[in-house]
Amino acid sequence: MSTPADISTAATTTGRFDAIIVGGGPAGLSAACTLADGGARVVVIERGDWPGSKNMMGGLIFSQPTSQVAPEFWKKAPLERHITRREMWLATGESVLKAGYESTDFGAEPYNSFSVFRSRFDKWLAGEARAKGAIIITETLVEDLLMEGDRVVGVRTGRPEGDLEADVVILCEGVNPFLAEKAGLSKGVKPESVALAVKEVLALPKEKLEDRFSLDEGNGAAYEVVGEITAGIPGTGFIYTNRDTVSIGVGVILKDMVDQAGEAYALLERFKKQPQVQRLIQGASPREYAAHLIPEGGYHGMPKLHGNGVLVAGDAAGMVNAVFTEGANLALLSGKMAAETVLRARDCGSFDAITLSHYRDQLEQSIIMKDLKSFQNVTPFLSSHPHFFTMYPELASAAVKELLTVDSLSKADKLHLIIKLVRSQRPARKLMKDLYDSWRTFS
Amino acid sequence: MSEELKKRLRSDNRDWTPPNFGITDKLGLTKFKPDAESHLSVINRDVCRKSCRRKYCTHTCPAQVYRWEEEDASISIAFEGCLECGTCRSGGCPYDNIEMRYPRGGFGVQYRFG
Repeated sequence: MSTPADISTAATTTGRFDAIIVGGGPAGLSAACTLADGGARVVVIERGDWPGSKNMMGGLIFSQPTSQVAPEFWKKAPLERHITRREMWLATGESVLKAGYESTDFGAEPYNSFSVFRSRFDKWLAGEARAKGAIIITETLVEDLLMEGDRVVGVRTGRPEGDLEADVVILCEGVNPFLAEKAGLSKGVKPESVALAVKEVLALPKEKLEDRFSLDEGNGAAYEVVGEITAGIPGTGFIYTNRDTVSIGVGVILKDMVDQAGEAYALLERFKKQPQVQRLIQGASPREYAAHLIPEGGYHGMPKLHGNGVLVAGDAAGMVNAVFTEGANLALLSGKMAAETVLRARDCGSFDAITLSHYRDQLEQSIIMKDLKSFQNVTPFLSSHPHFFTMYPELASAAVKELLTVDSLSKADKLHLIIKLVRSQRPARKLMKDLYDSWRTFS
Repeated sequence: MSEELKKRLRSDNRDWTPPNFGITDKLGLTKFKPDAESHLSVINRDVCRKSCRRKYCTHTCPAQVYRWEEEDASISIAFEGCLECGTCRSGGCPYDNIEMRYPRGGFGVQYRFG
């Protein structure tokens, strides 16, 4: 992908860097594009063989935020399918209750969202950043930050003579914030505010896939599934259609999984065997297994976002909207804002924490913080309401099944029966409280 | 009455067949470039032996890197199959008894899809 040969050569040939970006994911590459566009000398240091090779997500990206970094990316980027249908399933062991939305609008430019593979998309985005003048160094792990007092002045990589200095370091290191912890910005990842996601990519011939998922050519579908599939551990299942593969996975709140000594790969198998899910993936052959943490701490879970000579963006900054499963777009936007802050700081000639606090201000005014604040209590709420994942899907399913099943009971008797069943499982007072609490949490 | 309905629901099939596509099969799909040295280590083996009854890491690691070896009464670490997710350093070991670093640059998991 690029020349990892000697870090110091990169610095010698380029002169001193204005900015070092740690991590070639959506946040880091977005920051690199923006900085290079602004005429800054910028280097991205990536530990994988290519940017993307360590990255994993469900995966959807959204057009609007992505095109802010790469205009009309859909004409050239490696994409899988544009998503024209979203479905939400409440699942029990044998049934699903579905809600969904489908629109032909989502099937036309500029589209709304795409399924992608990070490993391929990020490789492409890195190419865009390089074309703009950013330097991308791969196969290189940043092991530490170079400090002068409380000021970050550069990075120490795992390579010989691998120290590199710059005015500012942007940490886009992903969900495990090793460096942000060292800089005293992050207190680390807490199990109650992170989800563990495991995923398989299953191959299915294109025609078969489009037939089975009832899709026009090039269109795609995305499914979120809640219910017994996670065995009582708060979490969701997901299915995304790609060109000739299906991504299927399960994400659960880590704390609850640990408490129950649950096994994520076993939950994935359980999900794959749910009858209505199984029908979708029947005969598909597995191609890759992956695991990743998702920071779902929301607004409260965020680290300190800036210090002297340092900024934090993307997953490292906890920027994920767990409710709408949006992470990559927040990463792109936050990377861009961090870069804009650096360009502004360069004009001021100061990279101290006060100048860089502009980043925080920009974020506060943006959709990122608005969304993260709106849903700040969701993860603890779901953790403390595990019955939302077991009892309610079952009750809903039981109610609908009863109504749809024709037998000797009258419809009035059936309604009576359903009410009795619900009350036997959840007293009216508690039911009302659940309703009120969820309204408060999700609105 | 509600008992009858509940029974009707219960009578449906709840017993899915156990997982048959095991973790070894899954990891066989994913590409790794293992380093010679482990980037994972147990900090204090006495904690595993004496305090941790459930051997949490053997369940919580999504790559089943950690296994309890009854003979040596200790955790073995198959770091070559580590997916580098960070579960073990984020509460996957409730005793915070696992030290995880990233593998050296150019080593470890290499996602083709991701």
